[in-house]
Amino acid sequence: MKIIRNNNLCYACKTCQLACSFHHTKTFWPERSSIIVSRNPQEGTIKWRMNNSCDQCTNEKEPLCVKYCIYGALQVGEEVKEDD
Amino acid sequence: MIERGSIRGCLAGKILRVDLSNKKIWTVDTKKYIEKTLGGRGINSLIMLDEIDIGTKWYDPENLLCFGAGSLVGTIAPGACRVDVSSINVFSGGKGSANVGGFWGPELKYAGYDNIIIVGKSEKPVYLCIRDDKVEIRDASFLWGKDTYETENVLREDIKDEHIKIACIGPTGENRVKGSAIIMDTAKAAGGSGVGCVMGDKRLKAIVVRGHGKIEVAQPEKFMQIIDRCYQQCKDEPKSKTMRKAPMNLYSNPEWEGWDTNIVIKNGQDDQWEREKRISLMNPATGIPSMQKGTRACYSCPIGCMPYMEINKGKHKGNKGEGFWINTIMGHACRFDISDPEAVANSWLLTNRLGLDGDYVAAGLSWIFELYEKGIINKENTDGLELTWGNGDALNKLIKKLAYREGIGDLLADGMVEAAKKIGYHSEYYLTQVKGQPSIEPFRVPKGWALAVSTSPVAGRHLRGATMGSNRYGPKPRPGNFGVTDYQNQAKGVVWQGKTKELEDNLGICNYVGTWSGANFLSIADFAELINAGMGLDITEEELVNHYAVIGRNLEKAFNTLHTDMSRKDDLPPKRFREEEVKSGPYKGFKIEENKYNKMLDEFYELWEWDKETGMQTRTGLEKLGLKDVAEKIAKQGKLIDK
Repeated sequence: MKIIRNNNLCYACKTCQLACSFHHTKTFWPERSSIIVSRNPQEGTIKWRMNNSCDQCTNEKEPLCVKYCIYGALQVGEEVKEDD
Repeated sequence: MIERGSIRGCLAGKILRVDLSNKKIWTVDTKKYIEKTLGGRGINSLIMLDEIDIGTKWYDPENLLCFGAGSLVGTIAPGACRVDVSSINVFSGGKGSANVGGFWGPELKYAGYDNIIIVGKSEKPVYLCIRDDKVEIRDASFLWGKDTYETENVLREDIKDEHIKIACIGPTGENRVKGSAIIMDTAKAAGGSGVGCVMGDKRLKAIVVRGHGKIEVAQPEKFMQIIDRCYQQCKDEPKSKTMRKAPMNLYSNPEWEGWDTNIVIKNGQDDQWEREKRISLMNPATGIPSMQKGTRACYSCPIGCMPYMEINKGKHKGNKGEGFWINTIMGHACRFDISDPEAVANSWLLTNRLGLDGDYVAAGLSWIFELYEKGIINKENTDGLELTWGNGDALNKLIKKLAYREGIGDLLADGMVEAAKKIGYHSEYYLTQVKGQPSIEPFRVPKGWALAVSTSPVAGRHLRGATMGSNRYGPKPRPGNFGVTDYQNQAKGVVWQGKTKELEDNLGICNYVGTWSGANFLSIADFAELINAGMGLDITEEELVNHYAVIGRNLEKAFNTLHTDMSRKDDLPPKRFREEEVKSGPYKGFKIEENKYNKMLDEFYELWEWDKETGMQTRTGLEKLGLKDVAEKIAKQGKLIDK
């Protein structure tokens, strides 16, 4: 199981960061998120970064970043797609 | 006083205080200010009421510029990203307040602060740099004169951290143009009340924030269970698809009812725009929607209402940015009768880059266009600009003149009411303003809208109670049973909507995700549950609506009472809309009928428990809310109604 990212569907709301930090810390702490989203409002670009602290949300039914991505930009699939 | 438990979560815990005159920085405990309110704007209102002496003007160093991130901001609560910016209103002299989304507010909380309160005035341009506990007042001479995009870029380069969040003013704020906004994340504007003008007057160019901390909630598991339900509601709500990219989705349909009920044409000459112009502006293939390159959401938002756009042809080709909004259509297009999509889109981008409030531009400059049409001013007064209806090029040029105080721009920069006094010739009649602030709002057709805008404590804006009409906007039961154009029962809806906005601004929830549209996103019951699990309190839905929301509104009203001579006489729609009828369309012949409006206003005061005759607050009403000290203050000024 891998987390697949689709930049075209992303609205850059960063809810995934909050969900991820909750998984790790039971608090809302973006600095402790495994997934980092940054957005350039002038150029319209969105960048993603996943660091190696991601454990695919062990003990959860599905990764929390996927669960709370209302726009469908994050999904569970077979391979990681690095699309910076 | 309500027994509500002690706060154990959601807050960052500190309020940052900054004195720009004496270059002092200190912090105070947030909890001290949060007994009567629930955070965000509530704290700003309390501090302004406590600390600003009567007689203080917006340009005095003693005026405060207050930023308040709501209590749920920084959590995963849907739409919890909003910041209230409060100060003395440069137009009315009373309470000023503007509300803004984006990412700056959450970052402030992660840096450890719920609010920032700025007093004093710097001699030289400065910016405030907040990196967790390290807070510095820094020289900003290298930023002075730069627009908001340039300011962001230079600061990012200078600080070398891509994650900093920036709130800044453009040249308009520096030049103390009254309708200046504070722009956050280059695209989100705290627009109303002239808050950017106050920031410029304090010589404060920007506030940079970077936070590495966390926000805890009192009951994490329970909080997330409520969040799960709230997200599911947002997912299940069919209206979320329409409200996503709302300006495009709604207005690209020329038959959409909002075109008939909520539009003002040519500075108020009519409320109906020709069908071919609607199509020209909003044609999906060639109009503004064709410029959309993507959609963006604010922090933790499940709706995503904001287009990212790039102008794709014409002389403004290549100009781009986030933040195009419905008000640009209502304001920059309809009020000037401009159906050229590139000119309208560029005027909006220019407004953001220069740091102007779009509504001020729309209501103020369309007034000048009408004075030009009427011959009250001519080409000699406008530095050669032909301010004819539909002339998008002239609008873009006039915006620049306003920002840099060039020629006629200098006359307009000090405010349209002041300009009208200088221009004379009955020009003030054509200015659609409420309590001194130019207003783009419709009055003649949507009656609840008219009541809310006319009674707004922050002067002429719709968010403090405008209703979208009847229950047709969603299955949630709303008080009253009325249509958009009815007078009857409208006050109930306006008061209810006003109360929900108070709560949203305390909690920092976007009212689009909250109750504004009537869709089934978040309800007041959800607010109560989120507060209780998040902050560790024990508050009922009824207490939220009938206590905390009522306090919020009364704090702002009290500020207005103490600092201005506002009363019932100031809660009326602009004279033009009481005298001139709508000229065309399905609502032809509509205008505000004063006797019916006044009955609606009577009911509105009764529901807020204010005195019907004067519109002023009463001793009983304030004391019931635990605001005896406020009542005493007003009584000392001889303005309290003793009943």
